[in-house]
Amino acid sequence: MGKQLTEMLKGTLEGIVLALLSGRPAYGYEITAWLRDQGFTDVAEGTIYALLVRIEQRGFVDVEKVRSEKGPPRKVYSLNAQGREYLEEFWKTWSFLAARLEQLREGGK
Amino acid sequence: MTTESNEPKSRYLQHLEIITGPLEDKKRWRQYKARVKQLPENYRIAVEALERYLMHFGPADGAGAMAMYGDLAELFEQSAADGTPIRDIFGDDPVEFAEAFMANYPLGQYRARERHRFASAIERAAGENPDREDRTKR
Repeated sequence: MGKQLTEMLKGTLEGIVLALLSGRPAYGYEITAWLRDQGFTDVAEGTIYALLVRIEQRGFVDVEKVRSEKGPPRKVYSLNAQGREYLEEFWKTWSFLAARLEQLREGGK
Repeated sequence: MTTESNEPKSRYLQHLEIITGPLEDKKRWRQYKARVKQLPENYRIAVEALERYLMHFGPADGAGAMAMYGDLAELFEQSAADGTPIRDIFGDDPVEFAEAFMANYPLGQYRARERHRFASAIERAAGENPDREDRTKR
């Protein structure tokens, strides 16, 4: 994954994770694994953890602690109503950005 | 991880804490250190390196800092249990991760003071908020 993708991902990773959680609840490791599957191979596990701490602090997710065979209990994150609202806002912003960029690309041809 | 109790503090404790700082914070700090000690060596070395960085640039004390160190211990306990390689936790740029992690907690006093000073200086230079006391002009 190039430097450019890493930079662009900074502003969108939160939306990506919220979108993923809107489909189904997940814990941190599952989220990282999914991102790796999708080709976001350079995303640090710690960065995802920091992001999960943030969306929990901002009240976008409900957290359930589930016992695990090894290590501390796992936190399972699910998107709540406030998170859904925020995600909708994210998609609106994304559509705006994508449409403007597409316009620029076509104008530049 | 919450360890503080909700009981009202005794007068004695209130006075003592003026001198010592909150005792819950000290207790939480010791708990954090004990958790780190239990980690496999390479994880422990990594956490202690990050801890040093956070000491310089993150919140130095208070409940915000203690919440941060609690979260830090949790991340590394989980990673050690999963066997996540150190490089996968930190990514290519450990500083970037540290900054993203730190951003979730209150600013350290030093950084907060300097940010405030900077923003106020620009406010004055821009001619906004003229009622504010200003020792740099006239």
